[in-house]
Amino acid sequence: MPESDCLLQNMNFVLRHEAMLKPFVCVPCEKVIIAKEADVPSLIGLISRLILTVPADTDIPKDAVAPKEWFVFSIWDSEPGDEQREFVLCTQVVYPDKTQFGQIGKLKIPVEPKKRSQMLIQLQGFPIGQAGTYTVRTWVEEKEQLVVGPLEFTIEVEIIRAAAPQKTSPSP
Amino acid sequence: MKYRCPVCMFPSLPYPPSNYHICPCCSTEFGNDDADFTHDQLREMWISNGANWFFGAPPEHWNPWMQLIRAGLDVPRPFTTLRFANNATVEHARIRLLAPKYELCPAA
Repeated sequence: MPESDCLLQNMNFVLRHEAMLKPFVCVPCEKVIIAKEADVPSLIGLISRLILTVPADTDIPKDAVAPKEWFVFSIWDSEPGDEQREFVLCTQVVYPDKTQFGQIGKLKIPVEPKKRSQMLIQLQGFPIGQAGTYTVRTWVEEKEQLVVGPLEFTIEVEIIRAAAPQKTSPSP
Repeated sequence: MKYRCPVCMFPSLPYPPSNYHICPCCSTEFGNDDADFTHDQLREMWISNGANWFFGAPPEHWNPWMQLIRAGLDVPRPFTTLRFANNATVEHARIRLLAPKYELCPAA
């Protein structure tokens, strides 16, 4: 057998054993509707930008949170053998200044043979303390080691200052 | 066992909110402060003072507003409107665009 074939076989062997969950979809959205029958998901309002209007004389605290529920929805393709492994989906939200908002969400990924794994992370508030580009980072860990990802997407937060009401002079 | 503060909703009090214990998050002294004010009033006072952590260093990545939201309470909204917007160019294609083009044969 030529040496190159041998190398290729070895690489395939490694690849087979390195094969694991692959992202099929991963998006932030306002709502997810899961059909009662067959668990078919429908995504509503994919989020890419958030616009806030703030009174001219109001300061937004650095730690402010809008009480707005949103979701990070993802589906993962599995490979034979993945069902015997313990994967954990990690989700992190990062402020424009690169500091972390809240805790890193961790959720075990249930894997069954010949099935995709559908994951829904619910976030109960959206950080609004800074204008700019927020990053939502998702990755998969096994035994607390990174095995897939990270996948990153950004959400722009724009803050518009409403014009201060102009004083009108009393009519004569 | 962990207990929740009925004022600021800090979920990890190591003791029940009574018997003059003090919440490390909002500083409420149970049996004293809440003898004079309701928990709602004490919460309003804590929020109006900035909802700051009271004793020592707060838990890592602690956020007072998320603590209240998770407990099902409303939080101050320093904005008048909040809306999601798109940030993409939009092109909607019909599937026939992906089909091969067929040239019309000239009439014989």
